[in-house]
Amino acid sequence: MIKCLIWDLDNTLFTGVYLEAPDQRPGADPGRSAVLAELAGRGILQAIASKNPPEAAQYASELTGHEFASVQCGWGAKSAAVSAVLDDLGLVPDEVAFVDDEAMERAQVAFALPDVLVLAPEDLADAAQWPQFSPPVVTAEARRRGELYAERRVRRDEAAAFGGSADEFLRYSGTQVRIALADLADLARLHELPVRTHQFNSTGVPVAAKTFAELFSSAGHQVITVRLSDKFGDDGLVGGCVIGTADRSWRVQLLMMSCRALGRGVIGGLLAWLCLAARQAGASQVVVACVINRRNVPLRIALTSAGFRADADLAADQPPWARADDQGRIAAYVIGLDQPRPDLPDWVTPA
Amino acid sequence: MSAATSGPEVLAELARILAELTGDSAVLDAPPGTPLLRDGIGLNSVGGALLLVRVQARFGVDVADEDLNLDSLATIGTLAAFVADRMTGR
Repeated sequence: MIKCLIWDLDNTLFTGVYLEAPDQRPGADPGRSAVLAELAGRGILQAIASKNPPEAAQYASELTGHEFASVQCGWGAKSAAVSAVLDDLGLVPDEVAFVDDEAMERAQVAFALPDVLVLAPEDLADAAQWPQFSPPVVTAEARRRGELYAERRVRRDEAAAFGGSADEFLRYSGTQVRIALADLADLARLHELPVRTHQFNSTGVPVAAKTFAELFSSAGHQVITVRLSDKFGDDGLVGGCVIGTADRSWRVQLLMMSCRALGRGVIGGLLAWLCLAARQAGASQVVVACVINRRNVPLRIALTSAGFRADADLAADQPPWARADDQGRIAAYVIGLDQPRPDLPDWVTPA
Repeated sequence: MSAATSGPEVLAELARILAELTGDSAVLDAPPGTPLLRDGIGLNSVGGALLLVRVQARFGVDVADEDLNLDSLATIGTLAAFVADRMTGR
């Protein structure tokens, strides 16, 4: 699934060359601007990789009325600009498409980053109809994604200028992580998260909305939502988990978090809450079944940093909805609750 | 990759990868006991994952697959030792 379209500006999004005539700037190509608006409406981020001064990106925002999620202006290789967008947004190459009118630029990006979908502007209208540009579910959170990344830029600039520790910045920003039991209104977003999250996803398997609905009413399960906001903006529902609570060993069958929430106290807060809630419910340990794949290494780092340990002797039994044939091996990450665990950070409001 | 690559060579190469990842050349002089995450080099979980991708490309050792608990990510030295050990073991 494509999460971000990266635009060249001159003769691609613009009808001409920005620097050619300072007193007569080019307009926006109407057909391509329409594609931009359509894809943004589907929750696909829009970014810029342009050999122009940064003012050109500002101008593109004014022309299209769109806040770009990441802007890379400069005269280096286009592949370097595309890589900078990936770093900026926390995406991997097969999640982005790049559109440029210059065949040389397209070839350079295709050679350096073979997993990026490279398009000529004339292919754009067709490509927008391809399945990889059509996410199955589009929620309010997804549609607001571009704005959320723009808020993130402001937050990041303030964080860079901030003198204190990371935790102090979370407090200064008024970070609020709210953990709650899921209800029916959360169904669409919960269904969307497993499709959209990779780096913090314990199963890597899509989950049908019907499955979540059944889990809501199952006595042996809790479906948990995590919401995030701070003074810069409201990110809405950024993560969640499904916990089997039937016995004294709580089993986390699915744990997922948007990479947008990285570095904002969410995953650590959720893991601390899990330990606290399990302990209060009389459980002796928490087990997170986590598939071992290339993409979710960040989740495994978060788990082990929080004190969870992979236990080879513990079966990581997963229900059918959380399994797939090509999923690879699953490890059980366990934490005992007999010893004190990290306190719940003060920015977390527990369920 | 030569199986003769020694621990100190891995350590020096690892420091170069880290300097590239963080954009901070001071990392080149960091002692082996420097933690990789948080208070040390300051990698976050995504940074740690990126480091392991680079390590696999450079040394052919898939740390993420072989070290389920990622204990090797404790310090620059533990990661270098893990990589050097796997390289001589093949």
